[in-house]
Amino acid sequence: MTTQSTLPGTYSIGRRQFLRSTAALIALPALESFPILGAATASTGSVKKARNLVSVGAYLGLHQNAFFPKEAGRGYTMPETLKPLDPHRDAFTVFSGMDHRAPNGHGAWSNFLCGNAPKSYSLDQMVADQIGQKSRFPSVQLTAGTGEGSKSMSFTKQGIGLPMVQRPSVFYKELFMSESDKDRMEYMLRSGKSSIDYVLEDALRLQNSVTQRDSDKLDEYFDSLRSVEKRMTQQIASIDDPIPTTDYKLPDSDPITPNLLMEAETLMYDLMALSIETESSRVLSFFIDGLGQVFSFDGEPLKAGYHGLSHHGNDPAMIQDLIKIEQSHMYCLSGFINQLKEKKDPEGKPLLDSTIVLMGTGMGDASRHSNANLPTLVAGGGFDHGSHIAIDRSKDDAPLLGDLYITLMQRLGMEVDSFSNASRNMNQLFS
Amino acid sequence: MHPAPLSSLFVGLSLATCRVTRSNYAALRKRRPYILAILLAHVTTISLHANTDLPIPDRPAEILADYCLDCHDEAEMKGDLNLDFLTIDWSLKENRTLWEKAHFMAKGGHMPPAKKKQPSDEERESILAWLDSSLLEHTPIGGTLPRRLNQAEYEATIRGLFNLTDFTLPIGFPRDTEFHGFNNVGEGLVLSPPLLESYGKVAAKIADEIFPPAKPAHKSTTRHAGPEDMVLSFSAATVRGDALLLASRAEQIMRSCTWPSRIEIMSSGTYLVTISASQFLPISDEPMKLEFRARELTASDRSFTDSFRLLKEIDFSSESPETVTFEADLYEGQTLLLRWTNAEMDHEFNALADQLGAWFERDPRFLAAWQKAVYPNGDLSVTRIVQLRGKNGWEIVTKNLADPNLDMSMATMDTEMTKALMKLIRSLQGTYQVADAMCHYYFENGPALEIHGLTVEGPLKTVDDPTDLRRKELRSQLLGERKHGQSDEAFTRQMLEQFLPQAFRRPVDKQTINTFLSIAKRHWAQGASFEDGVHLLIRNILISPRFLYRMVSPGEMDEYDLAARLSYFLTQGPPDEKLLALAQSGSLSNPDVLRKEARRLLPSRPEDAMIQSFTGQWLDTKLLPEIMPDPVFKFSESDIQIAKAEVEWFFAEMLNENLPLTDFIDPDFTYTTLEFAKKNYQYQSDRELIRKDVYRDERGLTLDRLPMQRGGRYGGLLGQSAIMTATANGVDTQPVLRGVWVLENILGMPPPDPPKSVPALTPDIRGTTNPKEMLAAHMADGACATCHKQIDPIGFMLENFDPVGRWREEWPKIDVPIESSGVLPDGTPIEDITDFKAWLVDNIDFFSQCLSEKLLTYATGRVPNYAERKEIETIVLENHKNGNGFQDLVLALIQSETFGTK
Repeated sequence: MTTQSTLPGTYSIGRRQFLRSTAALIALPALESFPILGAATASTGSVKKARNLVSVGAYLGLHQNAFFPKEAGRGYTMPETLKPLDPHRDAFTVFSGMDHRAPNGHGAWSNFLCGNAPKSYSLDQMVADQIGQKSRFPSVQLTAGTGEGSKSMSFTKQGIGLPMVQRPSVFYKELFMSESDKDRMEYMLRSGKSSIDYVLEDALRLQNSVTQRDSDKLDEYFDSLRSVEKRMTQQIASIDDPIPTTDYKLPDSDPITPNLLMEAETLMYDLMALSIETESSRVLSFFIDGLGQVFSFDGEPLKAGYHGLSHHGNDPAMIQDLIKIEQSHMYCLSGFINQLKEKKDPEGKPLLDSTIVLMGTGMGDASRHSNANLPTLVAGGGFDHGSHIAIDRSKDDAPLLGDLYITLMQRLGMEVDSFSNASRNMNQLFS
Repeated sequence: MHPAPLSSLFVGLSLATCRVTRSNYAALRKRRPYILAILLAHVTTISLHANTDLPIPDRPAEILADYCLDCHDEAEMKGDLNLDFLTIDWSLKENRTLWEKAHFMAKGGHMPPAKKKQPSDEERESILAWLDSSLLEHTPIGGTLPRRLNQAEYEATIRGLFNLTDFTLPIGFPRDTEFHGFNNVGEGLVLSPPLLESYGKVAAKIADEIFPPAKPAHKSTTRHAGPEDMVLSFSAATVRGDALLLASRAEQIMRSCTWPSRIEIMSSGTYLVTISASQFLPISDEPMKLEFRARELTASDRSFTDSFRLLKEIDFSSESPETVTFEADLYEGQTLLLRWTNAEMDHEFNALADQLGAWFERDPRFLAAWQKAVYPNGDLSVTRIVQLRGKNGWEIVTKNLADPNLDMSMATMDTEMTKALMKLIRSLQGTYQVADAMCHYYFENGPALEIHGLTVEGPLKTVDDPTDLRRKELRSQLLGERKHGQSDEAFTRQMLEQFLPQAFRRPVDKQTINTFLSIAKRHWAQGASFEDGVHLLIRNILISPRFLYRMVSPGEMDEYDLAARLSYFLTQGPPDEKLLALAQSGSLSNPDVLRKEARRLLPSRPEDAMIQSFTGQWLDTKLLPEIMPDPVFKFSESDIQIAKAEVEWFFAEMLNENLPLTDFIDPDFTYTTLEFAKKNYQYQSDRELIRKDVYRDERGLTLDRLPMQRGGRYGGLLGQSAIMTATANGVDTQPVLRGVWVLENILGMPPPDPPKSVPALTPDIRGTTNPKEMLAAHMADGACATCHKQIDPIGFMLENFDPVGRWREEWPKIDVPIESSGVLPDGTPIEDITDFKAWLVDNIDFFSQCLSEKLLTYATGRVPNYAERKEIETIVLENHKNGNGFQDLVLALIQSETFGTK
């Protein structure tokens, strides 16, 4: 199973394996006592530091029984959905029993990155505001699947949902700007800057004609205009800064129809790996949409559309097909992890060491529209991986998913001690 | 009173005396009247030149010292308020604000607090009279700062200016800030470098929209889609062998259509389409009709087929593949949409239920198989439906059909089980699952329409797509007509003479036109094309302060300012040609003309921008889309939409019909849907609704005007779900928040902010304590009581409304009866909301004044000051005498000096 050339859909699972995976989830020996939560300020003293954060969210959730391992700790049996990730088992950690105690339903899906209050400042944007600013793209929001315009996974500090790029070709064009795009940008900057003096001249004439009170208010305008002009000068100066190039070629049409979801996922993962490799962006978010599309695997259409299967009502045949889709997501993710292992940073270390990959969802059980116990896994970032961290969420002091996010942010070098409803961290359990 | 030289005192001295007061606070405290007298006697002999800095006359100074300064001096500063001055510089706005507040508290009887020594009526009146006359004398009407167009105004302005009817600002465009509850007040509309940069980017986008950069030419290509390259959505289609099968019809594309996944038109033109299709197990001689439409590849799959352009309909009559070729114009970004229009099965729930009902009747075994699939226990105890979606459902039904022991005992049309099944099939959810499963019957047994492949070749020639055509039109609208032999410069000057006055909403002098023309001239001199020059002009015009701000003009408010103020107030958009023409002729300020124009522009439909924006901000219903009611309330997203629309429909009716202001509080009607009213308003009606002139607003909503008994719990602003939801948080209610909200937005008496030192006392209604007991502390404590005596009784009276505005008698969780009774600040006892509404109706002028102030804040972009509130008061009383109509009030406000002053 290597790289992006492994197209999803070639994998089939046996009925026997499937039945095993849907046996009732046995009570897990939840990690006993809880000094597992550090006080927010306490640091483990680790000097390990990650540079990049990739957050991947699946809109229709991930079937819990096939995602969570039956055993806690190391050496767990790889659950059905995660089988495609088996080659990387020492490079990721599975979490169960964690969530944000957020409201239920599709409407609250954005709790995935926003925490207890959906549609509020999201994890990726917090990180982007702190460490993303120096790269070409402070943050990147991508989606596979058609999206419907109203969904967002990332929210600014002001609670504005950010639009997502749906076409791989559009993201590609931004990453590897063509000569003609660059010429256009330069033209816009130069023509804009050279004409600003006229606007300024006319505006000053206006300012001189009005009352002192109005004139004072217009000072805001002049301050802003001067600042914009200065920025244009800087942008013109840096226009010839090298822009990364690549040999990577996209197919000649964008896979944006819903049935080509897996193809879109593969391309977006490829482009994210290139984006990290070229240091174009440190913070990337990727939303995997789901609609009524019917996938075919090995030429055989599944029993119902993706959304229909997610409402499986615990019917084994429906769940079986749902798991096939979710496994395909994991194939795509596995290819991505592979690329991050193979691609090296300037010091020759695998990109995965410095890249945290968070895969999860805002929906714990799509069949019931429950947003509790969110399937979550973290790969890379220099953490000690390989285990299943099972949390007993019935305990009062059980860690929240936000506590894990605090740990992730600290690993990214941020001095934070709270996230949404969480104010501790998981450094002692996961470092 | 004091003669002028005497009153123009101590410019320097006041500072000195303040210092005395500060340092010798304790000593002075008891002797203040005496010291004041000495100081006054002393200073009256000095005559300095400063005619706005006036001494507090003796009588009010004595009263202040006797009743106010014990708490409100420099040292005590109770309520962060210091009234300990010898003179007042009335020219300073902050001083006027301070003394307005003092006036408000004294007039309302809130001060001095009840447990302190009270002034006599004569004393109270004396100080109020002094404050009133001073404030009136020294408060000038007017004072709006230049107002940057807010987001909605900017969008409407661009739409009007360029005829870009669907223009919206990009997501993530910096948000406007609110000031005093509204997002169009001068003080709040700050401009920052990132915002100006965003304006620049948007301006470039608008210029691109009209003069787009050249696109690369595309070569002709041939693209083929086989069955496996077509979209399968729900059960609209499936692949069997080497063909794609269509089996059913529906209006929604995702349940009926397929389209090629990888064919997206890159360049608008005429294309050659080749299709190969055949019949699969037909049951009649009727040809199968395959319809082709042009869909945007990025269009939502929830779209309906009729929103896409019909290209062709082709009949297929053979079971062996037929190939048909036709020409079609396809535009950039489009692909082909394929639908079998005369399929037997229709996804519409009544059609499906009728078809299956007939089927069940002639084939009891088929009925029994479905019964067993949906009711696996053999009775109605368990319903299995979601699992039956698609192929899974059909496999279960097939298995049942093959079962020799299939239970046939209930397989007649008259059994309870059949009736339940039919009801389920006719329900929204049931239809989806059953139809999705039934498609697989057709996929296996036919009839179905087989598609073997599709080829798109081209473009044979390029065509102008609708976007190209629209751009041509936009360009000719903007540029006007080019006279024969007219140079680029002369043509552009002609354009600017026409366009700049529209963009800047007022006449533009030659110098400004020349300045802007120079931008294009210089660009041409550098070798740019004519179009590039105009493109650059647009980018610059749209970042000029003359465009971005309104009401920046020399001198007092003129006709053009008035036109803009009227238009943005009533339509949120720029003045139209008629208003500008009236402004130009100088007649808009004529009261009759102004009234007539105001009537012409008054919003009338619930979705009109002014109604949406004003009610959303005044009543906070703009918050509704973000409130997510706890699932226990079963208040869905569509309920929230209806709740918000109720307020807008109601407001529109109040305005259109000029209904009395008391109807805002206690009307004999409400706008809602019958279902919503029954669910939320305990509404009982067995009468059939008679609808005249059914109106559907732009959101597709139709609400009904339901009659209501006056004097009831529901109806009126305070009885509307939207307002009770907006003043809660979706989970629980907080009496203090609702109380403050009513004081601010209904009574117009906003209580001052709580003192900073006091922690918020928020009752936890989820806890075990009776909230009223918890809040009793508020009413007892001297400092808190002043305000909370006003706030809490109103808040508790509204506790009968849960977080979505439904009536409740008990506090949740603790099951203690809600104590809604209380005493209003004027001593009126109330039992519940109905008493409060009656009191409001009796004292409607409070509400009218409040609403008028809100309207004028929204209209003028400033919070009305003392003198302006006085003017409003006169208008409100006058209107009350003349029927108290709401439309009359709005028109009178538009004709006020407050509205007509910058």
